[in-house]
Amino acid sequence: MFTSTVAGLAAGGAYALIGVCLVFTYRLVSVVNFTGAAIGAVGTFAMVMLREQGIPLPICILVGLTFGTVTATLLGAVMMKWFAGAPAQTKAAVTVALLVGMIALGLRITGGQHPRPFPDLVPGAAFTLAGVVITRAALVTISLAFIFTIAATRFLNHTRMGLQLRALSERPVTAELIGIPVRRLSIGVWAMAGLATTIALMIIAPQRAPNFLTFSMLVVPAFAAALIGGFRSFWFTLAGGIALGLLEGMAAGLSSLAQFRSAVPFLIILAVLMWSQRRARWDEAR
Amino acid sequence: MKRANLKSALTTILIACVATILINVTLTSYWVFLFTGAVVAAIALLGVGLVASRAGMISLCQMSFAAIGAWVVAWLNVKHAPGTLLLWILLGGLAAVPFGIAIGLPALRLRGINLAIVTLGFAAAFDVILLSYTFPGQTKFIFVQRPDLFSSDQAYFALCVAVFVILAIALNLLSQTPLGASWLALRHSERGTAAHGVSIPQSKLSAFALSAFISGLSGGLLAGQLGTLVAESFTLMVSMVYFVVTTMAGAHLAEGAIFGGILIIFFPEVLRRLGLPQDIGNIFFALGATQALSMGGTMAEDFRGLVRKFFKGKKIVASGFTDDVALATVVPPVVNANARPMLDIKNVTVRYGSVVALNDVSFTVPEGSVVGLIGPNGAGKSTLIDGVTGFLAAYEGSILLDGKKLDGLPAHLRARAGIRRTWQHTRIAPQLSVGEYLTLAAGRRLQTEESVALLTWMGCPGPLTTISQIDAGTRRLLDVAGVIAARPKIVLLDEPAAGLSHQESTQLAARIAQIPTRFGTSVLMVEHDMDLVRMVCNTIVVLDFGKVIAAGPTQKVLADPRVIKAYIGDPEGLVA
Amino acid sequence: MKKHYIFSAALASTAIFASAMMTANNASAAGPTCTDGKIVVGAVSTITGPADFSEVPKAAKATFDVVNAAGGINGCKIDYTIADDKADPQVAAQSARDLVENKGAVVMTGSASLLDCAVNAGYYDKQGILSVHGLGVDPVCFNAPSISPVNVGPYTLTTAVLQYGSSVLKAKNLCGIFWIVGGTDEAYPAAVARWEKVSGQKFGMIDLTLPFQGDYTPYVLKARDAGCDAVVMNTVEPQIVQMINTADAQNITGIKWLFLAPGYTEQVAKTLAATKQEIYVGTEWEPYTDSKSKSNESWNAAMSSAGMPLTAFTQGGYESATILVDVLKSIDGPVTRESVTAALHNLAPVNNPLVGTPYTFGMAASHASSQGTKMVKLESGAWKVETPDWFVLPPE
Repeated sequence: MFTSTVAGLAAGGAYALIGVCLVFTYRLVSVVNFTGAAIGAVGTFAMVMLREQGIPLPICILVGLTFGTVTATLLGAVMMKWFAGAPAQTKAAVTVALLVGMIALGLRITGGQHPRPFPDLVPGAAFTLAGVVITRAALVTISLAFIFTIAATRFLNHTRMGLQLRALSERPVTAELIGIPVRRLSIGVWAMAGLATTIALMIIAPQRAPNFLTFSMLVVPAFAAALIGGFRSFWFTLAGGIALGLLEGMAAGLSSLAQFRSAVPFLIILAVLMWSQRRARWDEAR
Repeated sequence: MKRANLKSALTTILIACVATILINVTLTSYWVFLFTGAVVAAIALLGVGLVASRAGMISLCQMSFAAIGAWVVAWLNVKHAPGTLLLWILLGGLAAVPFGIAIGLPALRLRGINLAIVTLGFAAAFDVILLSYTFPGQTKFIFVQRPDLFSSDQAYFALCVAVFVILAIALNLLSQTPLGASWLALRHSERGTAAHGVSIPQSKLSAFALSAFISGLSGGLLAGQLGTLVAESFTLMVSMVYFVVTTMAGAHLAEGAIFGGILIIFFPEVLRRLGLPQDIGNIFFALGATQALSMGGTMAEDFRGLVRKFFKGKKIVASGFTDDVALATVVPPVVNANARPMLDIKNVTVRYGSVVALNDVSFTVPEGSVVGLIGPNGAGKSTLIDGVTGFLAAYEGSILLDGKKLDGLPAHLRARAGIRRTWQHTRIAPQLSVGEYLTLAAGRRLQTEESVALLTWMGCPGPLTTISQIDAGTRRLLDVAGVIAARPKIVLLDEPAAGLSHQESTQLAARIAQIPTRFGTSVLMVEHDMDLVRMVCNTIVVLDFGKVIAAGPTQKVLADPRVIKAYIGDPEGLVA
Repeated sequence: MKKHYIFSAALASTAIFASAMMTANNASAAGPTCTDGKIVVGAVSTITGPADFSEVPKAAKATFDVVNAAGGINGCKIDYTIADDKADPQVAAQSARDLVENKGAVVMTGSASLLDCAVNAGYYDKQGILSVHGLGVDPVCFNAPSISPVNVGPYTLTTAVLQYGSSVLKAKNLCGIFWIVGGTDEAYPAAVARWEKVSGQKFGMIDLTLPFQGDYTPYVLKARDAGCDAVVMNTVEPQIVQMINTADAQNITGIKWLFLAPGYTEQVAKTLAATKQEIYVGTEWEPYTDSKSKSNESWNAAMSSAGMPLTAFTQGGYESATILVDVLKSIDGPVTRESVTAALHNLAPVNNPLVGTPYTFGMAASHASSQGTKMVKLESGAWKVETPDWFVLPPE
């Protein structure tokens, strides 16, 4: 059982990293972004499709990262242009609609059934733990999640731009009035989250069933992680994501539970909400 | 049933009958099959629309509920359960309800987008489980049996239309009850809705449970239509597409659901005839929904707007008081000398971090009186109202209503105990009609005569007018009419005359002064218009920097030098 | 192998006899006739959405085009319509009804869909129309009176691959990791049970919980820890690649990986060129990568001249189309839904070089006529045929 639990580490790192990106976007531009993982999928598929044309890997990676970032930027621009003043509910609904469109378009362009030769960006094994080979990719994903968590926390609390952005998400109109370049900053947040997600997905792609739909749906466990962090705390999101991966691994190891492995994120979401609903609150918005 | 309802119900039934006969008689069974699919989809969309378009929540697992309904029907069919398909479909719908409640219960007590995430998680998990266990009888090739009466495609089409019509009429009637009106209202403002005594979690949960029921019915109907079921009909992707189509079409309205159903079924047909790939459909829906969200309207609402414009012309309804009041004739109500305190505020202190918003505030509102609460901007007047009505997280001190402690009670329970309030900015959902708003505010169905009398008295348009047609000033009057309709022990009016013309505010003043005697309701009023305050208030409480600096009979307090000083410090001052 | 030989010989003689009968019929009658000079044939296939099986019906179309170009069947052109179902049940149902009721299709041929059988088998049955399925995927395809696929199908193939593992590869502890979808929770265990009966061996670990997406590390470790020396899996291409990549990442050795036909593609071979794992795949038809195969000749020529790719999918389309053309030719009088259905109901077993056992339709309640496979092994980025002769399962 310990073996299979450790085996969930790689997945956990990915959930954590995407989860942290979701929290980042939510805190800074107050959008619950359902396209979070799909953005990364765009960049990852762009990379592999170029690779198939025989273009050198470093160029493919660069172009892929650019694709992911540009997609995120475009989405950010759409959100800023038409939905800047909209309530959180509406923004979330927009991203759901965009996700449906992106999946249809993504499956159309990438094709659902043939595998693509996703290159191992971080090949090889790091070490063996409890009979499980921990791949370098898993290690790198988790490290990246840590780095991004630290960076995001520091950025928000200790830089001028971070403070501006926080002000912005709380009172966009006021922020604009006191001369914060709201639009540019917001789109920058989207771009950063897009870039980080793309990196995460590129690394874990060879170990996953890489199809545009399944990639886009990685947003489900990532949301569960973000919810553990209450859409506020980066550290709890990070811990939540990794814990989620480990739990899934454990469930896969127990034959009696394996059938319900896919229900793990859902059950976590329910449990977290049960805990946090102890008392109803009124927020500022309405 | 009211006349207007009866009329609209009969119209719906008539249109449905004509459409059913027309389709059944003129079209081949292929088209009848497509239209059946469209109606079944429309029923599912009614369920989504109830949550998404009406109550403004995001639900991404409606097709999972449909799958539960379908599964129950398939299971009962395999078990040769007593009753026929009709009973099974109903049972299928009911079976989805406990799932809806179990998912909604934790998600809906909290604000925000939790429901979207929970339902996404549920649909993703349910997908996998349904895909592996699939439907009873599928592999054994057992078809869902239709009763003889509905065995033909045409008859089954008529059955689906009948179910749709029943649901549409029922939802329309429901929207005129306090519960139904609260769904639209909470989409616009949760606080505003809670202030009417509505429990937000209960209201949301009831909407979600009902939508699960409707989706469950649609699943059962689909089982009867196709005879055999596959899990792919009910995946997360399908749920998301239904949500997107709902957003685009506005499926909280019956015609929106029909538009959406037709889009879902006939778009693939059109694409096939044009020789275009099938996946264009989803891209189109995504763009359509984004566009609808950015415009803030849906196909159905636009359609209704066009129809209204066509028949009545577009006009904005303004207020119309039927009498003319002279300023001098308005006097405060007569208060019994030993009236008991209706509202008793004892040593209330509110802190936001290190800022003290209210500092040891105490005063009472005697029964049958109008008390003015004045003070410069930022003095803490609205904070006090929030505190009394239960919209602050915490305060020190104690608040009593008619001798009973309110502390610790949530907003909706305070409202039910007899405290109602209005807001500085009106929070009436523009999609409601005046009558529906009054029902919501009163918490009960008002008799037509009663509501018309109240509306006329307050200078508001008739109950069938839609709020969006009313000008801003009149909405403020409707705010006051709403809180009075509930016949509370006390109303707290937050700047009721803001945005009104001088003439209107004089007339409003005459009404406010009459509230205690006409309705037995005491009044606490925050107002900057000093003429109005002078006219209607028995006593005045003055707040400055969170402290009561003066309190007592109106004229005496207004002459108090401290009060004048506090106001001169404020540029908006006494003349505002 | 000798047994197979005798079996094939017996079949061949039956086929000759059957075709002799047909010729006799043709001589005494006018042959097939049609109104408007066309015979309407349809296919419901998954083309857009999560999978693209369009090569199957397109190969069938190419085959019909050749027949039409040569003057058709007794002057009747085959009017072939391919409908995309998007893997959406609603669209699949619509498409089938459009083909049958509006277009007036007399038979379905070359369909290849994730869910056409499950959604439409009952409808076809009610309408009295039959389907010479190009690629059956879901279990209903092999379990319906109205459908007879030309392929082996994942369930029979599971048994065949297991039998190959035990009898040829001499695996002692065979395990299975299955991705259960669309009501296959009974079909795969049944396939395993059939193998236990055939081989007399006991099956090792069986896991029916593999997710479509997710981390596969726990499953690889489970197989290793259960001491499996061969593992059969029913996943499709991307998951196969993922599983092998995961096994490589975990340094797994000593497990032979047995996959079903979806793994037999050039993309899988290329993607996994560098793997250290031992990979076998059971094919549905004569291995298409075997360019020297005599059995592939006519198919190869037909596809090459039509500019179609040489894949397993086009084999399915080609086989179903050629079978149908022969059936149509055998009809006496007007070609209607009734006459085609009757002809298929009375069809004598048809030998086809692309499959190991003859194609049958008849009145059976279920159809799985193809019971033979050829095994291919992945060797340095290419597929190598391991069984030059058909590896045929004994009848149940």
